[in-house]
Amino acid sequence: MICDMPRRNPGRGERPQRRKVMVRHGERGDAFRCVGCRLDVPMSAPGTAHRNHCPHCLTSLHVDRRVPGDRRAGCRGRMAAFSVTVRPDGEWLIIHHCQSCDELSANRIAGDDNALALLRIAMRPLSAGGRLPATALLAL
Amino acid sequence: MSGNGKPRSTLSTDTFACVRCGLTVTAAAPDGARRNHCPSCLHSLHVLDRVEGGPSECRSRMIPISIAVLRTGDWMLIHRCTRCGELTSNPICGDDNQLILMRMAVRPLAQPPFPLEAFGDL
Repeated sequence: MICDMPRRNPGRGERPQRRKVMVRHGERGDAFRCVGCRLDVPMSAPGTAHRNHCPHCLTSLHVDRRVPGDRRAGCRGRMAAFSVTVRPDGEWLIIHHCQSCDELSANRIAGDDNALALLRIAMRPLSAGGRLPATALLAL
Repeated sequence: MSGNGKPRSTLSTDTFACVRCGLTVTAAAPDGARRNHCPSCLHSLHVLDRVEGGPSECRSRMIPISIAVLRTGDWMLIHRCTRCGELTSNPICGDDNQLILMRMAVRPLAQPPFPLEAFGDL
């Protein structure tokens, strides 16, 4: 009978709990956790000094207001990758769209961003789900 | 003539001149909505503040930078202000220049940051 089995640790004397070391979770340290896929991401990124989106799912967090790095937005909503644009020098930018306050921001891609996720966003206007302006293709 | 004595046609003949190409455009799109960009060159004017809401005092030219696609499949045109860098997104119109729209849609694929040949093996 299971209920009659003796407990493995029969009543040890009262002992105060050990004081735990408080670990601060958040972006204070050298890593942050992605709000989209929960991946732990180191802050150091190849090709850029400021990591501002998850390299795996490209999701960002709405913390900056007008100037990058000002941390003045009180929104802290999730920003999904909305579109991809190209600078005149050929560098790609991800347009992020805040899911809670509708704000947009443009961020440079990093060297370790997921190439398949980037290509999926770039292909979105041309895929069958979008309403492709077929008359433009016929005019070419 | 409508009820208040003003001719009804003034509502639909409201026009504006494009800041870039100078084309005189009717303010109402074919579907009846109010236009926010030139249908010929797709440029816009920064008159609405997106962060604070309400009118903006910037009033500079906004250039179209990319196409985004909503879940519904509708295309959105993303503009960036040349003076303050603000980004806006607006739905495309039925009479927008489709060659410029297609050029913006394929521009990222014409300048990829990584070789696209690798995706042929997937």
